[in-house]
Amino acid sequence: MAIKNLELRARIVVEGFWHGIHRSPYHGFSVEFTEYRQYSPGDDPRYLDWQLYARTDRYYIKKFEDETNLRCYLLVDHSRSMDYGSLSYTKAQYANTLAATLAYFLYAQGDAVGLLTFDEKIREYLPARHRTGHLRRLMLQLEESAGGTATDLTAPLKRIVEVVRKRSLMVMISDLLAPIDALEKNLTSLAACGHDVMLFHVLDPAELAFQFDKAILFRDVESGRDLFIDPATARKEYLRQLNAHNAAVLAACQRLGVGYRRFATDRALELAMFDFLRERMQRGRFINRRR
Amino acid sequence: MSFLTPLFLLGGLAVALPIIFHLVRRSSREKMVFSSLMFLKPTPPRMTRRNRLENIFLLLLRCLAICLLAFGFARPFFQKPMAAVPQAATSSRLVLLVDASASMKREGLWSAALERGEALLKSASPGDQVCLLVYDDRIRTVVSFEEWAGFGIAERASLAARRLASNAPSWRSTHLGNALIAAAEILEDTESSRREQEPTGLKRIVVISDFQEGSRLDGLQGYEWPRGVEVAVEAVKAKRPTNAGLQWVLDAEDSLPAAAEAVARLRVSNSSDATAEQFQIRWDGIADAPSLDAYVPPGQSRIVPAPRLPAGVAGERLTLRGDDHDFDNLVHLVQPRAEEVNVLLLDDDRENDPGRLLYYLKRAFQDTRRQTVRINTLAGGTVPSAASLVTNRLLIVSRALPENQLTLARQSLSSGGTVLCVLNDATLGDTLGRLTGTAGLTVTEATVGNYAMFSQMDFEHPLLSPFSDPRFSDFSKIRIWKHRRLPLESLPDARVIARFDDQDPAIVEIPSGPGRVFVFTFSWRPADSQLALSSKFVPLLYSLLEQAGGLQAQLAQYRVGDTVDLAAVLAKSAGVELSVRQPDGSLIPLPAGETRFAQTEVPGVYEVIGPAVPVRFAVNLDLAESRTAPLALDELERLGLPLKPREIALSKPAELRQNLHNTELESRQKLWRWLIVAALVVLMGETLLAGWLTRRATRQIEATV
Repeated sequence: MAIKNLELRARIVVEGFWHGIHRSPYHGFSVEFTEYRQYSPGDDPRYLDWQLYARTDRYYIKKFEDETNLRCYLLVDHSRSMDYGSLSYTKAQYANTLAATLAYFLYAQGDAVGLLTFDEKIREYLPARHRTGHLRRLMLQLEESAGGTATDLTAPLKRIVEVVRKRSLMVMISDLLAPIDALEKNLTSLAACGHDVMLFHVLDPAELAFQFDKAILFRDVESGRDLFIDPATARKEYLRQLNAHNAAVLAACQRLGVGYRRFATDRALELAMFDFLRERMQRGRFINRRR
Repeated sequence: MSFLTPLFLLGGLAVALPIIFHLVRRSSREKMVFSSLMFLKPTPPRMTRRNRLENIFLLLLRCLAICLLAFGFARPFFQKPMAAVPQAATSSRLVLLVDASASMKREGLWSAALERGEALLKSASPGDQVCLLVYDDRIRTVVSFEEWAGFGIAERASLAARRLASNAPSWRSTHLGNALIAAAEILEDTESSRREQEPTGLKRIVVISDFQEGSRLDGLQGYEWPRGVEVAVEAVKAKRPTNAGLQWVLDAEDSLPAAAEAVARLRVSNSSDATAEQFQIRWDGIADAPSLDAYVPPGQSRIVPAPRLPAGVAGERLTLRGDDHDFDNLVHLVQPRAEEVNVLLLDDDRENDPGRLLYYLKRAFQDTRRQTVRINTLAGGTVPSAASLVTNRLLIVSRALPENQLTLARQSLSSGGTVLCVLNDATLGDTLGRLTGTAGLTVTEATVGNYAMFSQMDFEHPLLSPFSDPRFSDFSKIRIWKHRRLPLESLPDARVIARFDDQDPAIVEIPSGPGRVFVFTFSWRPADSQLALSSKFVPLLYSLLEQAGGLQAQLAQYRVGDTVDLAAVLAKSAGVELSVRQPDGSLIPLPAGETRFAQTEVPGVYEVIGPAVPVRFAVNLDLAESRTAPLALDELERLGLPLKPREIALSKPAELRQNLHNTELESRQKLWRWLIVAALVVLMGETLLAGWLTRRATRQIEATV
């Protein structure tokens, strides 16, 4: 996080990752970039892959290259709770770097990357594209500071369902510090649209451990509400509730087949990238198995 | 173990502070920003068992440091017995001066002064010596040091207070300066008599007074106030400030003709803190007498004529109304009565003959309001009665006397009378010789060239002393054409008062038994000299009359406490029992040979009873008593008095000694230093322990994170 420029930061993470990849035991995975679909009546016969037909004696529709490229939407939480950080950087910085890294990585592969930032409402929306300058715009959007006073997980998901008609990869990066009642429902509709959804849960180590010793006033960074809290007595209950919350999120994700990863912000970004790709690989297998 | 400043031990209560901080350390004002409070519930700050137990050793160290500091500041020391001191040394001497002047007659002042006095007497410790004085223009001892010492310790205060209460304010004026000096001298006297046996204690004068502006402090001017004598001031205040005084202003012009309508003049003075300015003056006891309005601003005085009396009514008392205090509102007046002075001229001069002595005598002695001089003459052989001898103050001999008249003159001389012998011609030598008891005295006519003049005047002689001023001492304009020569060698007792320029005596005084003979060796007839026409003639005759006892200072008005000289009255009524009637009617007999009357204690009209015509004189209050505005006390300080505030306790030397002893012990032991060092050590230990605990806690947190 010592590097100010988000794009540079992302590139270094990606390059480091690539370097590290050679030492990795996982070889031969790839992002799906082509797709064959079984011919069904009504499909345009121009797109029939005749070579495949010659080999397999079956009709397969061959998708255009740009069409078959991966569309990835990064849904980044820019609410004020993301501005909290017990380390030298905040969750928002960590999440932005993570999003930028993914964007850079995908862009470098020639995939289209879109961005949607949100707090209690949608703040910025960039459709997924692969154009010159698009990555730069995306980085600028990411660098905009967090401002919202609350987190609403429903609105961005609903919106993305409405806007993105094409099947895409949805990567949601948030601390999920909001009621999750509607989260499952929206994730369901998102998955139902054929989108591939991944949930990156970013949390600060202090939020996870709650190792405070002084009894003082705690101020909610989003609402500004003050509460007098003695960590000695409140810690147990806090951890219980946090764990229950996390467990509920995980359970929902597992039910819907949504990829879920929890990142403590003191975890290296390369490892987060690694987690991302492994998830993709597993999902690829899962999808393949489903087929 | 004792403490020099035990109040600092209260600082030990601060030990509660670390305990409270340890218990409620949660109630910090600090704030911490956190991402979300959705998993947190508010916990009220409460003192949990865990808090109390937490860092108990640290708490103990902090409490110990505070206790040590408080203990050190209390300056502890180990008490050692003090060397015994004789009890008498702790005694102090107190002189209580209570103002009993006329101004203390104002409402409530005297009772307030008595209360203060009693309180002060009661506050005196058993070792104290007290002297109680009451002063106005005199000082009276109510309780002396010896009497105080003689009283029983238990009842001495009440006894002295009772004695004080038996006094009452007089009508006299206030001589505060003299009273203070007297009190200081009383202290100094007892001091010097006791100095050999006992060490000195505290010396103090406490003055209980209204401290009115009219108090006289002149005695203190130039008085060196004795060292070590303190003065404390106990002022009593009147409830209402306005006070106006009334004074009878005596006319200075004695020469006013007696016939003129005499109107008494009054001075009305108002106190400087007065609130009223308008006063009424009226005759007291005369129902239909008109009143007079007088306007006097505060701090000023006005002279007004007394209101006119109705015809035929005599008034002797005037009152003033309109102020708050009555004690000085009455003034007594005695209108002077013209005194009749008889001069006997032993000659048969005709009154209208300007060439004779009588013509000028008659004109020289004019009637005034003070006296009427009557010139009596005796024809050739007439013999006056003994009574007329007494009434005639001066006998003038201007011719050779027949035997019977000579006897009369000698009688007058033997009873202290005065005879003026005017040597009209040389034939009077024999008469003069017989009058003075000098046989064979011959007077010769002097030979005067052109004219003679006076020279070698003895202005120190009472007869000529009125002319001693250089303005009046020029007698050179008087020319004398004829005079007689007196053989001084045959008159050894004669005193020459004046000589002529030819060295012959002009005026000679010859004592003759108790009486005396004045000799003029010339006469004032125009044929002899210009004396009767000169400006010196009338004063010279009055001076002569005064020497003869014919003119006395008029008894008219005195202030309370003044001594009245009754010598003139006595001289007129020799051998008569005299007594003085006081204003209340009581009679005070005047002892034989006493010429002074000093018992003028009450204002009013006094009457000397005994002479054929009673002599009356008025005694009034001193006008200074009417100036009742408060005296500026810094005036006393300016005069060198060490004024002390009353709040300081009369004397606690025993306590003082104990305190000094304690201070000395403490400064020798200096236990506080060790306590401070111990507190510092404890604080260092506390710092180290707290640092170690903090580091350990940090490490634990890091380990858990």
